[in-house]
Amino acid sequence: MSVVGYAFEEAWASIRRAGRSAAVSIGTIAIAFLTLGGFLLVSVNGQGVLDRWLESAEVSVYLDDHLADELRTVLEVYVRQQPAVASVEYVSKARALERFRADFPELLDVTTSVGPLPFPAVLEVRLRPEATGGANLDDLITALAGREGVADVRYDRRWLTRLMGIVATARIAAALIAGVLMLGAAFTVAAVVRLSLHARRNEVDIMQLVGAPFSYIRGPFIVEGLLLGGTGAAVALLAISAIYSGVSQWLPPEVQFLGVREGLIMLLGGVGVGAAAGTVASRSAI
Amino acid sequence: MIETRGLGKIYGRGLYALRNLNLTIDKGEFVFLTGPSGAGKSTLLRLLLMQEKPTAGEVVVAGRTLSRLTRHEVQAYRRTVGFVFQDFKLITTKTVFENVSFTLHVLGLPIEQQRRRTYQVLKWVGLQHRLNSLPEELSGGEQQRVAIARALVNEPSLILADEPTGNLDPELSLEIMNLFRDINASGTTVVVATHNRELIKWVGRRVVQLEHGQLASPTEPPT
Repeated sequence: MSVVGYAFEEAWASIRRAGRSAAVSIGTIAIAFLTLGGFLLVSVNGQGVLDRWLESAEVSVYLDDHLADELRTVLEVYVRQQPAVASVEYVSKARALERFRADFPELLDVTTSVGPLPFPAVLEVRLRPEATGGANLDDLITALAGREGVADVRYDRRWLTRLMGIVATARIAAALIAGVLMLGAAFTVAAVVRLSLHARRNEVDIMQLVGAPFSYIRGPFIVEGLLLGGTGAAVALLAISAIYSGVSQWLPPEVQFLGVREGLIMLLGGVGVGAAAGTVASRSAI
Repeated sequence: MIETRGLGKIYGRGLYALRNLNLTIDKGEFVFLTGPSGAGKSTLLRLLLMQEKPTAGEVVVAGRTLSRLTRHEVQAYRRTVGFVFQDFKLITTKTVFENVSFTLHVLGLPIEQQRRRTYQVLKWVGLQHRLNSLPEELSGGEQQRVAIARALVNEPSLILADEPTGNLDPELSLEIMNLFRDINASGTTVVVATHNRELIKWVGRRVVQLEHGQLASPTEPPT
């Protein structure tokens, strides 16, 4: 049997002997990776939504209520001529009201109480993908806001950028929480490996006396950590899969399960954290 | 084979286990280390096996100054030394065969060679019928024979034994000493720490008498 085969055989025997403490270790690492997996799931889908929103981001140029048609046409031509602009659609006051009624039928009463045409006419400006963001766009928006007949200019991208900032902050916070949980999981794995070391102290001493290489002595303990970490991550992945299957019928169709990349991140993360904990624990004792 | 130069070992606050010990053991010799409890016999063996480091002087074994070895070199050195202890130091979860073949496994020998050599050495100590027994199923004498088989299996040039008959009755003790005598006859250097004067007389080899961590008398073979 090879050194690696020996390490796996001894590690498996040790996990079976450890029983409950090994189960606690796997449970702890599973909770940590459940958090990480949940974070990945939200992150991946959140990013997808943000990307879609970014693609459909547009500049809304609200027009003065009493803007003459000629001036409106001049303005529309001016906007169309801008290099960053892909298309322009004019939405009249009447059409804006129709849209609102179609989108929010439950608020029909509100529209009748505030007058016949409460919404302003608007030029909906779609931007070229390469033009979203940047100083040129800011210049265009400033220029539009200063033109005659323009009441206001709103750019989706601005609040999307702010949202992206919030999401990025939330991601860092979630990564920190996942990191702390994984550190806790690593300490648990290290504690279980130390228990194994203690239980096999006599055997380890004898191995040292017969001159076994350190890789040979530490191998089973590193593999034990690796197996605990990998199993914990796999349990977490299965749990996330089960939860996703359970709630997917209530989720929008765009919400996807974790991809192969995210699954591998979790499994390899578990294996890595466990092996690192096993290495640290065995190196400190042998 | 073994040379100690001004060897000293102090435990705690000034408790001398060994003091300025100068000793030479030639290749192929059979030497008894004897003396009362606390004389330094076991300490000397622990230093020879690099379980501890000396606080003064040095130990040279087969040209290697042990205190200069790195941790990895210590492991390589130990693979050239067989050891036998009073408490046998067998792995309780492994069978007789596994306890012995384990040393060869560590050396990376092919599996067939491991099996053949392990069987040969267990047959030599008379335990070929207990290959699959666990240590707890064996008598004290049998356990010590397993320990001797393990010490011998990789054909070391030096065997160190610390009170190997301490837990055995006189008859079994003689049996174990006979094994050591046979091992020595094949050219292996054997160092046995014991306070059993009868056994020393019976084997009739060189005796190194230690007292308070020092040589107590000239190290001559008994007549």
